[in-house]
Amino acid sequence: MYPPRSILPLLLIGPLLAAGAVAPAGLDRAWSALADSRPQDVLRQLRRDADSRADRLVWAAARIGAQPATDANMREAEVVLAELETGPDEIAAEAAYLRARIYQLHLNEPDFAQAAQLYAELARRQPESHWAQLGLVKLGLLKLYLLPDLADPGADRLAAAEALLPRIHEPLLRRDLELQIGQAGIVLHQPQARFLPHLIAAAQAGGITGTAREDLIVQIGVLSERAGDWARAREYFERYLADYPTNVRAFTIRQKLGKVTRQLAQEGGA
Amino acid sequence: MRRLRAKLGLALLVGAYAGALYWVLTRSEPVIHRREVTIYFAHWQIERGPPDGINAAIKRYEELNPRVHVVQLQIPGATIYPQWMRSNLAGETGPDLMEWGAWLPGQKDIPARYFAPLTAELAKPNPYNRGTSQEKIPWQDTFHDKLLAPKRDSPDPGQIYAVNITESTLRLFCNVELMKEILGRVVVPKNFDDLRKIFAQVQDYSRRTGRTIHGLAGSRDTTRSVAQSVILAPLLGVNQRLDDGGTLYLYNRQVLAAYLAGRWRYSEPAVRAGLQLVRETTNAMKPGFIQLRRDDAMIEFLRGQALFFFYGTWDATSLRRLASFKIQPMKLMQAMPDDPEVGRYVVGQGGEGMGETSLSMYLNKTSRHPAEALDFLKFLTSVPGQQLFTDASLWLPAVNGAVVPEAIRNFRDYQEGISFGQAPYDMIGTEVGMNWDRNFYRLSGENGSAEKFAAALDAEMPAAVRQDLKAELRATLVLVKPQDPVIVGWAGLTGDKARIRREESEAAQTMSEGLALQMKLQLESAK
Repeated sequence: MYPPRSILPLLLIGPLLAAGAVAPAGLDRAWSALADSRPQDVLRQLRRDADSRADRLVWAAARIGAQPATDANMREAEVVLAELETGPDEIAAEAAYLRARIYQLHLNEPDFAQAAQLYAELARRQPESHWAQLGLVKLGLLKLYLLPDLADPGADRLAAAEALLPRIHEPLLRRDLELQIGQAGIVLHQPQARFLPHLIAAAQAGGITGTAREDLIVQIGVLSERAGDWARAREYFERYLADYPTNVRAFTIRQKLGKVTRQLAQEGGA
Repeated sequence: MRRLRAKLGLALLVGAYAGALYWVLTRSEPVIHRREVTIYFAHWQIERGPPDGINAAIKRYEELNPRVHVVQLQIPGATIYPQWMRSNLAGETGPDLMEWGAWLPGQKDIPARYFAPLTAELAKPNPYNRGTSQEKIPWQDTFHDKLLAPKRDSPDPGQIYAVNITESTLRLFCNVELMKEILGRVVVPKNFDDLRKIFAQVQDYSRRTGRTIHGLAGSRDTTRSVAQSVILAPLLGVNQRLDDGGTLYLYNRQVLAAYLAGRWRYSEPAVRAGLQLVRETTNAMKPGFIQLRRDDAMIEFLRGQALFFFYGTWDATSLRRLASFKIQPMKLMQAMPDDPEVGRYVVGQGGEGMGETSLSMYLNKTSRHPAEALDFLKFLTSVPGQQLFTDASLWLPAVNGAVVPEAIRNFRDYQEGISFGQAPYDMIGTEVGMNWDRNFYRLSGENGSAEKFAAALDAEMPAAVRQDLKAELRATLVLVKPQDPVIVGWAGLTGDKARIRREESEAAQTMSEGLALQMKLQLESAK
């Protein structure tokens, strides 16, 4: 007894699914689960030794994000990433980036030197890849605060990060490193002339949101005022008051705006 | 005959069954109409007012959205809410929308772990504002303070996680009749010295008449608010000194790091002057106030045993409804440069900002109905939703465009002046706050003094401050680490939305990572 011919296509759906004929939809579900902070769902859906490189990458990313975040789990993810890293494509770059992130952030005892080396290798191998570019920003953070050893008082931390800027061609990522160099300059008690240009560059790039943007506009105004750059101080104070007229800082900024405007008038620059 | 009756009975039975069947298949409706979606909205504002205001908004929202039912969960604050919130969130049984506050002890990690950012939605206009003055304005900019606290309290400097429902400030609520009885007229204090003189007159009146009356209703809760207000004036100069970055604002992590680096101490003259003002204020409270809660202070005030009750405008509706006397809200004025006791440490007029919105509501990451929950938040914070809320609660609206009821209009009369935002030196961290409370008896009362209190704090604070800065660092890392797989997820998806979310996540992660590294550096260099 044979099934009617009309049922045959239906019977084929199972084997087709098993063969991965509809894999893109499945992979989209996995990306969505990762983006939605549900790495456990990905681990239920995919196998570590899946056929496709993309599947294995998603699996490794989920392994990094899933609880418990043990070193054993990170090492398991790293094995998969190290294998993916050998390819020539964007997946290889992404794998290399994630591998560096494991050493920088996800191990119980981070290995910052190893992370820095992996970022540098990635940037040398695939310099225009987005992941290499993002890696340069993270490398910049390591150089600002951690490498070389903190005990070295002579290290020019800003210079090491500044040297990376010409290699970052993506405007938003370059902006992010500019901002970090500027903020590090304050915390590391560097001369203002050394870090203020970086803050200005970050503000000019735009797109910074939340309280970070408010702080940045005030900072540039106040630091410019401290440096006697009245015109720039006025520009940023005015911008702040236009955007945040009811903020608790508005009273002080109005006072400061009055002061710099008077200075400009005295110097004939109003 | 018997057979006929049996046939009749059977016919009736069949007829009844057929009728019932017909009714069920064609006409019947459920006895209770159930809506498709139920969302839960949890908060601790169980004072008089807010539940009524929220109910008014829910009623209208359900009329506009027949498939959605909104349930308001009123959970008592202070001791119960934090545990209730934590256990429900951990078990993924939490309500869709939840109130959270940065000052809740030990709950700093909650937003990063359990709440979803609203930044992208806040950049778009609120659809419920159509036809109002706020139409076409990005949702975020419709708030009176553009969401100052949710930005400040965000674990991630590039993201906003909450929207606010009301606006509040701190006020001295005065028993007008009692003031006339004691002072002969209503005296509105114009500076701290005026208040100092009023307290002295109340004490004198109490001694002369033998009636137990105190200047200020006392409790542990209200003391915190009083202390944070009066201590600020002499600290303005210290704040300016610590503001390396020129933000005109100090975050907890900066104040903690500055203490670790030895850049300020409780025993330095300006800070001690602030403590002296706290001592003067708490000496106007009844003995043993530190064991009492907010409700005890309110009862003391309502019984006519205290001239003033100092707390937030969130208590105004309760006071109005419960008091048998006329109440006048007044500002608690800060000490001025001409103050006879501490004036030499005061660098200018302290301010209370231009109003700060509050009652922050967060969207649970594991909500089963995130779209509906977000939609209800949009309605509640729209001009029509806020009008319903403010009219029924007599709490200030959080957004522009809603008309403030006459009875509470003066709550928006703010004292302008210098302000560094959140820099209360008693609450910069959980451990610091506990040390402050544990030693507070050294400050107030006959045997207390600002010197004794400051010395005790400086002996214990280095370890507490280090603990709190470590906690800040941990909370930041809780946010940073899970972002790696999230960024990979967005990168794998196509379309503008995914690209924008990836870019936002990358920028936010780098900013948070920078802050974490700064804190690590500060902890290590102060070893």
